[in-house]
Amino acid sequence: MQSYKGRFEPTRFEDLTVTVDFHCHSACRFCIVQEGMNLYKGVPFERFEQAVDENGKAPRYRRVTFTGGEVTLEKRLFDYLRVARERGGFEHIRLQTNGRRLADRAFAERLVEAGVDEFFVSLHGPDAATQDYISQRKGSFDEAWAGLTNLRALGVTIMTNTVLTTLNVDHLARIVDTVAPLEPARMEWWNYLPMEDKADERGLIAPLSRLGPAMIAALDRAETRGVDCAVKYVPRCALGRHGHLIDNTQPDVVIVEEFYDLYPKFACLYEAKCEHGEACLGLTHEYVHKYGWETDRLVPTPRTTPWREPEDGLAFGSDDPRGARDAAPSADHPAWRALVDGVAEPLGAELEGLLLDRRRCTFRFRAGEASVDVVLTKRSEDRPALARSRSFDLSYRNLVLPEGAAAERATLVKVVEAAVRAIAQRDGGAMLLDERKGLVGEDALRRRARERRK
Amino acid sequence: MPELRRSAAGDRYFDYCLQPYRPRRPPEGKLRADNLLLHTLELAGLRDAAWPALEALIEGLGRDMVVWGAKHDGERLFFELYVYDPQKEDPRATVSGLTELLAPHLRILPRVRETVPYMMVSFDLDAEILASGEVRELNLYLTGTDAHEGRSYVVREDRRELANTYRFLRPKPEIDTVLGLLRSSLFLDYEDPRVLAEVMPPELFACKRVCVAKKRLRDGVYYSGIDVDALLWFLERRGWPRSLVDFTRAHAAELDHLYFDVGLDFEMRGAEARATKTSFYGTI
Repeated sequence: MQSYKGRFEPTRFEDLTVTVDFHCHSACRFCIVQEGMNLYKGVPFERFEQAVDENGKAPRYRRVTFTGGEVTLEKRLFDYLRVARERGGFEHIRLQTNGRRLADRAFAERLVEAGVDEFFVSLHGPDAATQDYISQRKGSFDEAWAGLTNLRALGVTIMTNTVLTTLNVDHLARIVDTVAPLEPARMEWWNYLPMEDKADERGLIAPLSRLGPAMIAALDRAETRGVDCAVKYVPRCALGRHGHLIDNTQPDVVIVEEFYDLYPKFACLYEAKCEHGEACLGLTHEYVHKYGWETDRLVPTPRTTPWREPEDGLAFGSDDPRGARDAAPSADHPAWRALVDGVAEPLGAELEGLLLDRRRCTFRFRAGEASVDVVLTKRSEDRPALARSRSFDLSYRNLVLPEGAAAERATLVKVVEAAVRAIAQRDGGAMLLDERKGLVGEDALRRRARERRK
Repeated sequence: MPELRRSAAGDRYFDYCLQPYRPRRPPEGKLRADNLLLHTLELAGLRDAAWPALEALIEGLGRDMVVWGAKHDGERLFFELYVYDPQKEDPRATVSGLTELLAPHLRILPRVRETVPYMMVSFDLDAEILASGEVRELNLYLTGTDAHEGRSYVVREDRRELANTYRFLRPKPEIDTVLGLLRSSLFLDYEDPRVLAEVMPPELFACKRVCVAKKRLRDGVYYSGIDVDALLWFLERRGWPRSLVDFTRAHAAELDHLYFDVGLDFEMRGAEARATKTSFYGTI
């Protein structure tokens, strides 16, 4: 069965990422949208405004992140920022950038004045030689470093992002040394995803035999220097005692739909044996084809709970860089929880969890060992549903009943009925779920590139 | 190409062991899996010759009660039809019954004592068999010490021999057993980690059940319950005819309610594991 590893939707739905431009003045050798660069369009301004206004009416996202391509090249960037600041109800506005244009102090100041309070800056090497080789632009490291220095002076939140490849795997601890004086809120380490070069002809996928020890050394160094870290797309067990730093969540991204067709799938032979099988993605399929399943190098942690083939991504914690440890969990979506508040308890059951993604809201109710999911999807008259509220189609699934649990079954039937009634009453029609992940159709691609494809 | 066969109200959905499953998506108006069989038969130039026998089986045993396998050895396309009756409920689903049912189209020559506790019988269908009108070889499948194990025998008029043993497992929860069975091999050398990745690629590991078969001259692995994307990967990766790949891709959205089953026979060629014969399955 496909698990969430196959679908890759472990998503953190506190954050909305908006792709505003697909041009870049660097040419990173690992770029995951290399073929999409100059082809994909950014989010049309009207579509962005719609998303912002939706969040203003029914808050779902705490943060909006602008990315690209290189976001600082977007001509209307300050228009996007103004709308986000004035109408979106976001707590934070973040730019994901290569940092080069931030070397211009006045430009950096203008961004901060426009409301950007978090900067997520790419730094793929500890020095100019490494970074400039990777970005294929001489001077890019010096520019990014000047930009980071400006941000430090401006007192905004700095985070760095390092993409892990064979090109920098031997320099990871030194990158920590370089960045630590900036006192970043977090350093993120994203393992390279082979999205377009599936056969890894560029030789960028780092084998775990090198990546594991290098990552552990870097995380040791970060710990020593008091720098918070998060690691994506590396098997948890490859990080040794730093395994808890795995965070594979991603924000909700408005992007060209085709982007998701390219996204790698993940697998691990030990998924069902490992305590972390639900949260750790394992290896990309491309990795397995190149280096094998790593049957000896991957070490599953024995499970303490029975394994069940998951049908949904799991709830993950917050990535708020200012309060990561103590922040409310991402599953705490009060507006959505309010739809079923107080429904289960009088019937002898409980709301065990809430999973919210762009297309679906799932409430899991539990009565003893039995459980059932009530699922909300966007309302559509074209398909059957258990019931419909103003915004949603309602259905139930995943009824899990231990043998002889007749009483629990009866309880859950009542819970489903009560939840459906409550949602129908409480849904005022302003809550939104989408059916598509991204931009689709002709408007998603640039005309010149489309014509070139014919 | 002839008209496509679309799902109808009475359709049932079975895997290649004739175990029922719930379609992955609402099936209304979508394509039946047997379109892939018919397309492959067409590519092999056998559709017209094979259809009367297929039609007789459908009419005699019921729609969706016959499992078909399409096979490819890198050069040749050939086919196998499987009839299940583990509970011995339907006298037509026996060797004797099939012999009678197919008599107008194919003469089944081997005879089998019907008290043999076989749960399935199968036979190949290729250009030679269809031209001669004679099935000279049957495969009988007997359950092993438990329901997840089995043996198959080749039965000819004058000879019977053990063909292979096999075992069904859930790939993820029973991974240690899967790995143990795979590695217990005379034919494959798992020293190079890429051999295991070739035999059990991640695209197929995402299946419902895996079957490890030990055959006389090679090892076989079967993956049951994969989606149409994985089937497409398999067909492309394993060099099935471009026309079939294109057909499957063109209709992928109309096949996404189905699960598919695929099989691969492996041998070592130098230091690499090579799939020398591959197959995929459905019901008709």
